[in-house]
Amino acid sequence: MTLQVAPPAVGTVRDVRAGAQGQSRLLVVAEQECRDLWTSGRGLILLFLFSVLLSGVTYLTSTNQALNFLEQRESVNLVLQFAVAVGVLATLVVSADGISGERERGTLETLLVTPVPRRSIIGGKLIAALSLWFATFLVSIPYVWVLARGVGILGRALALGFCVGTLVAIGLGSIGLLISAACNSNKTSIAASIFLLLILFAPTQLPSGLPQGWFFEVLLRANPVASGLAYISSILVEGHDWTQDLALLITPLLTAIIAGGALILAGPRLVRLTRGVNAG
Amino acid sequence: MTSTTVEAVRLTKHYDGRSAVEDVSVSASQGEIVGLLGPNGAGKTTTIRLLTTVLQPTSGEFSIAGYPATSSTEIRRCVGVLPESSGYPAHQTGAEYLRFYARLYGVSRSQARSLSAELLTAVGLEDRGESRISTYSRGMRQRLGIARAMINDPVVVFLDEPTLGLDPAGQAQVLDLIRSIAKARDATVVLSTHLLPEVEEVCSKVVILHHGRVLVSGSVGEVIKTALIEQSAQLRVPLDLIERARNVLAGFPGLTINQTAEQPEVLILAVDRPGTDSTHREVMNEVLAAVTAAGIPVLRFELEAARLSDAFLKMTNRGVT
Repeated sequence: MTLQVAPPAVGTVRDVRAGAQGQSRLLVVAEQECRDLWTSGRGLILLFLFSVLLSGVTYLTSTNQALNFLEQRESVNLVLQFAVAVGVLATLVVSADGISGERERGTLETLLVTPVPRRSIIGGKLIAALSLWFATFLVSIPYVWVLARGVGILGRALALGFCVGTLVAIGLGSIGLLISAACNSNKTSIAASIFLLLILFAPTQLPSGLPQGWFFEVLLRANPVASGLAYISSILVEGHDWTQDLALLITPLLTAIIAGGALILAGPRLVRLTRGVNAG
Repeated sequence: MTSTTVEAVRLTKHYDGRSAVEDVSVSASQGEIVGLLGPNGAGKTTTIRLLTTVLQPTSGEFSIAGYPATSSTEIRRCVGVLPESSGYPAHQTGAEYLRFYARLYGVSRSQARSLSAELLTAVGLEDRGESRISTYSRGMRQRLGIARAMINDPVVVFLDEPTLGLDPAGQAQVLDLIRSIAKARDATVVLSTHLLPEVEEVCSKVVILHHGRVLVSGSVGEVIKTALIEQSAQLRVPLDLIERARNVLAGFPGLTINQTAEQPEVLILAVDRPGTDSTHREVMNEVLAAVTAAGIPVLRFELEAARLSDAFLKMTNRGVT
């Protein structure tokens, strides 16, 4: 078989060389990354596992509620906190694969030789990772709805979960991509990201009966996941006003700004063929 | 009129003090196929990565299609690259893959669809465009990679080991494609490969790299000449006259005479001295004339042309020592 490459059709590809603009490369990358995440089955598997875990937690919570071990507000809070924490974990895992995974699969170089700005590549990957957070949040809505019936906190719980979760997901998704850019091995990147999340998540699981002094308070406020979940809890369980504990959102907000900012500013230096190579 | 599309002057790349590429100067013109040769670790891939702006040079300058190294976005817009051991998203179809890359160059959705169909046909994958890449053979993936490298109608196409791991039929298909890229699209093709006979066949220019440096560059003929590759010949005479033939030829300057135990009736003659192809041919003509004048019947006389592979081996071995 003899293969022949025909001359390019006038008015199509020649425009490409001239750099036809008008479409955001960021959105093109984001669309493809989302398609890769969801059609490859990775996103669906994570979502399925999330649903199974959330079903189990909701069942246990509602059983405890029926046995009067938990108040209804507490059970809503517990399920919502679980949904946020695990949803954010999934986002972190996906973003941790973003750059190191492409390096390992040998697909990064082909992306680097296109005229797409490095920031668009990294931005597109962050959007795709966040799509998993939004999907987990959508899955958790019916569970929260079932538990929150009759106490009039459904709207508040969902709005809280969405806002706090999105803020934390942006911060941790950005951290995941930073870790991924700094690791040559995908395994190292994912392991480091999960370890980070466990460190952040562990303080939130300490029994409330334990003595909690100033050190615990510092730990709580310095931790974007723990302080975000504490904010949810303060409104849903303790009935505080939206503005009363806003200080608890400082860490999640700062994390999102600093990590997201670092990603945007250092993006061109981060997205490179191998860690430590001075790429253009 | 052809114009210079690749111009690199004293390109150098160091990694942590270790030199990967040192003072590499290369130039190529429109429609030219340049073979980048060298043993493993010679700096071929690094050179391609430098010229495609994936890496930044430690020193030196280059321009692609008239754009200086500092205009990396413009350079990326006018080059097509098939990296060495390029990976492919296994769950995507070939058509989806090409459409995505077309859109990265600013092509609209509908144009990307027609462009991907056009390129899939060009590389002989029109029937497999809607199949997942995971079902493609290695040769099909390489052809898909070449199609992707053509998506922006590049001025310069860099192909890093495009025939690696392909069977002879697959290699021939890829080489056909390379020829037609240079001919039909008037693009410059920079081809890094280990297939020396094929380079000899398709490349108008050759650059041999060794330990990150250019050992020699020029046309295949010029490279062979620079390597001073011996022009050899085989002379077969009756076994009882072999010693007489040796004595007749013993006086020829620069002529080396060898014999093998397997074929004692054959003299292996080699000319090892500077000169053009015609000089070598003249020497061999004189050899033949002297033998026949001495009354020795010539049963067989075969001239063996010098090959690029000989030049490559000789030059890279010289580079090692």
